[in-house]
Amino acid sequence: MSYEQDLDAVFAALADPTRRAILARLSDGSATVGELAAPFEMSQPAVSKHLKVLETAGLIDREIRAQTRPATLNAARLQDAVHWLEGFRAHWGDRLDRLDRLLTELKQEDTT
Amino acid sequence: MSQPVFSMTRQFDAPPALVWRCWTEPDLLGRWYGPGVETEVHRFDPVVGGLWLHEMKMGEQSMYQRMEYIEVEPPARLVMLMSNASRDWEVIPSPMMENWPRTLLTTVLFDAVGDGTRMTLEWTPHEATEAENAAFAAALDNLDQGWGKGMDVMAEILAELV
Repeated sequence: MSYEQDLDAVFAALADPTRRAILARLSDGSATVGELAAPFEMSQPAVSKHLKVLETAGLIDREIRAQTRPATLNAARLQDAVHWLEGFRAHWGDRLDRLDRLLTELKQEDTT
Repeated sequence: MSQPVFSMTRQFDAPPALVWRCWTEPDLLGRWYGPGVETEVHRFDPVVGGLWLHEMKMGEQSMYQRMEYIEVEPPARLVMLMSNASRDWEVIPSPMMENWPRTLLTTVLFDAVGDGTRMTLEWTPHEATEAENAAFAAALDNLDQGWGKGMDVMAEILAELV
């Protein structure tokens, strides 16, 4: 998969509020499907489906050896998406800083 | 799903008429919109239906942005479609980011506040695919609302990794 396709999967995974809640829960530590299903009042197959999407996006890792396959947050993966998203805002923030400075200059030119 | 909107607001110590000029006069626009990168403005026509064709040169490669003005109401309201473009100024998907909305409806509002201006920028996907909307909505969740406690915890984890 290309880097872009990777990020595509990350965004698709993040677009769902339940999956974001699962990620937030996993940020407190690994959890099994059963442990994740309880607070979300969801069936285990439904949770498994969400975990599959998160795993495909590389946002979580699943333990292979243990039968319960506890899920673990893969924070580094999330970082890629977060960086891109913040880039857009930072870019415009820089622009508006420059606009602010330009306006100050223009006002000084007016008064001199 | 309601249409996702991302907005930024900035207060300037200058009246709306002056801020407006910075958006609509090419010499002024060039002093804040694209410095730092070599840019060439191929067309700049801030009237309804007019185009602003903007090339940013990055070494051998160029990024092309195509803006089409939808509403021009000086000095209060500027609405345009902002798109990534090919060198022939055809609208194309973002070359940097898969599923970033290819066209963002961008609204700039200039409100007089005292002697200054409160400028509000709003971006929303225009005629976007489901995947483009999802990518943008995910961006919003992160940038605007945050993810509450979970996101705070994640930010801590990320900070530890850096």
